[in-house]
Amino acid sequence: MNTLNEQQLNELQTDLDAIRDEVLADLGERDATHIRNMVRLHRKLEIGGRVLMPFGFIPPVFLAATASLGLAKILENMEIGHNVMHGQYDWMNDPSLNSQTYEWDTACSSESWRRTHNFEHHTYTNVIGKDRDYGYAVLRLSNDEPWRPRHTFQVLNYAALSVLFQWGVALHELEAEKLSNGKSHLKEKRPFLKLAAKKASRQAFKDYIFFPALTLPVAPIVLAGNAGANLIRNLWSSTVIFCGHFTQDAETFTEEEAEGESKGHWYLRQLTGSSNFTGGKWLHIMSGHLSFQIEHHVFPDLPAHRYPEISEKVQTVCRKHGIHYNTGSFAKQYGTVLKRILRYSLPERITRRPAVA
Amino acid sequence: MLATISRSKAAHWLGRQLLNREDPKAFFDPLTTAINPMWVQQYTPARVERITEETADTKTFVLKPARRWGGFQAGQHLNVRIDINGVRHTRTFSLSSSPALWENNGLITLTVKRLPGGLVTNWLHDELKSGDIIGLTEAFGDFLIPNGKKPVLFIAGGSGITPILSQLDTMAREQYPEPITLLYYVRTPNDVIGEQRLTALKNRYPAFSLHIITTHENATPRYLSDQDLDSVRNLANREIFLCGPKGLMDLATEKLGQRGLKDEQLHSTFFAPPTPVRLSSSNTGGEVTFSASNLSVDSTGDTNLLEIAEAAGLSPQHGCRMGICHQCTCRKTSGTVVNRLTGQVSGAGSESVQLCISVPQGPVALAL
Repeated sequence: MNTLNEQQLNELQTDLDAIRDEVLADLGERDATHIRNMVRLHRKLEIGGRVLMPFGFIPPVFLAATASLGLAKILENMEIGHNVMHGQYDWMNDPSLNSQTYEWDTACSSESWRRTHNFEHHTYTNVIGKDRDYGYAVLRLSNDEPWRPRHTFQVLNYAALSVLFQWGVALHELEAEKLSNGKSHLKEKRPFLKLAAKKASRQAFKDYIFFPALTLPVAPIVLAGNAGANLIRNLWSSTVIFCGHFTQDAETFTEEEAEGESKGHWYLRQLTGSSNFTGGKWLHIMSGHLSFQIEHHVFPDLPAHRYPEISEKVQTVCRKHGIHYNTGSFAKQYGTVLKRILRYSLPERITRRPAVA
Repeated sequence: MLATISRSKAAHWLGRQLLNREDPKAFFDPLTTAINPMWVQQYTPARVERITEETADTKTFVLKPARRWGGFQAGQHLNVRIDINGVRHTRTFSLSSSPALWENNGLITLTVKRLPGGLVTNWLHDELKSGDIIGLTEAFGDFLIPNGKKPVLFIAGGSGITPILSQLDTMAREQYPEPITLLYYVRTPNDVIGEQRLTALKNRYPAFSLHIITTHENATPRYLSDQDLDSVRNLANREIFLCGPKGLMDLATEKLGQRGLKDEQLHSTFFAPPTPVRLSSSNTGGEVTFSASNLSVDSTGDTNLLEIAEAAGLSPQHGCRMGICHQCTCRKTSGTVVNRLTGQVSGAGSESVQLCISVPQGPVALAL
């Protein structure tokens, strides 16, 4: 973990604040056009997918429709929904793009997401014990958590979480691990469960009852296609998200380290706790620009399509302060994530690395 | 047709289930507007037909609203909605045309004066072109022609003449039976708006008495005076309509009060240009009104809105309390706030603010 002294941290803060101010002053037509283009693309993909789906008894049409709807959900969740809810487009004064009222196309309610993601995850990023996104309470990803026999098979947890990712996210706020170890009671969670059930049932009704029933003779095909689209989104989004904080070099922090931290230290924690991956323009767009997880964590409320250009400036700042900028190809970064999941399935004494000079 | 479908409750319910939004129009508009911008459903569009220059700093915009627009009564105003550099802005303008023009030709006019430093008025003058489309709300306002049979006095200043032009047209057309007098104050003769219309009215309707007074033609300004009011016959019985700069309205209200006119006889509509606020610590603090909670508290110093709300007993949604997570964002309906992280001052109108980093500068109203 980098140790920067107080003066260096203040300088880090000044450098990063300057980048942020520069971007804020430049926000305008270009950003509005981008998000509107994304919204238009989403509408075409969703309407196209849903219109084609009843014709899915023809196999190539089934593949095209499922892919179209899957891409629509990915785009809406990642490039549009997640970014809009971060307040990245609130300055536009467009009620359909407002962070506090936007409701996205997934089982998780936006209200719950804003609490657990915008607030908890982004404030306590990678702080063990406070950032529940670190492992999602079903994976042991560092030595901070003591090993238990059940961790041996955690790669199965990972597979299940990925396949059912939208449901995992929807129930994240339930804090099921605290219910089972007695740290919280079900009745405290009742308001949340009511909200979660309402949103989840609405999504299930849409994808698994309404649209299949609309074209009754081909209902099973539409049902399968919609499930396939949700699966595509689940697998893709979980993969991208896991690459954000679980790569090899992503650092974790203790509660003491993060207690009463300065803005400079918050910036440092965001920089070293996050990791990027490289790729082409459309890879970035389909990841909702979470491929620039570092820039996203440093500037969560700046329009994400700006992260590629911001990244050059952030890298310069990192070099200046001797901070490691964690990036690599998508394949390489994902490889380190899988290694991490496998490595911490086993106790520390088995997997302890020799000390590095 | 689309509008009727979108009003039904069933459509709204289905829209929520399928599209995750209260307003299904927001789902389809991005596609339909790509084909024809006039097909937008989230707001009422109006196409700019023609733009004419009234004076050096005033233009009249002739607009063709979509057919579903609800019409208006003379003297009312509406909100215009435009996008400038990606940001949606709303401003209120009076309709300067008579309702008859809308009913017979489907057209309305807005007469807009360029305000020095005003974002929207300057954009309208410099950027808006024939063929462009802007958004409108329904007309509103209670600055209306009286239906009783009483004589009327209009006191207008500068661009305040705009709703009055609409009213005069209508009253003349409907052969309003009582005398109508207009005292119209402008800085110089070049600043008279609608001069041709006013002269035409004067020539055609004997009951209409027109007085244009230039205030800054000579070295010493010549404002509304007692002689002006004394020259109006039967002043005490008239319905008075005031529209103009604050100074004129205050002066007129004072003098009319002195002459024993009752409050019910005075009708005003306000045209206040935005006043630039200078940033300084002595400027912070003010009365904060929480309109949804019927609460109002005073604040001093640089306490932010989140702390003010909590001190008042409210518990607004919040998160990190340092301006990052946007959980505390809510709507400020009026007033000015300073962003304590950037020092930037907000606009004075309705906009979203993050409570934890906003410090009031003068009176502020929140939808909380």
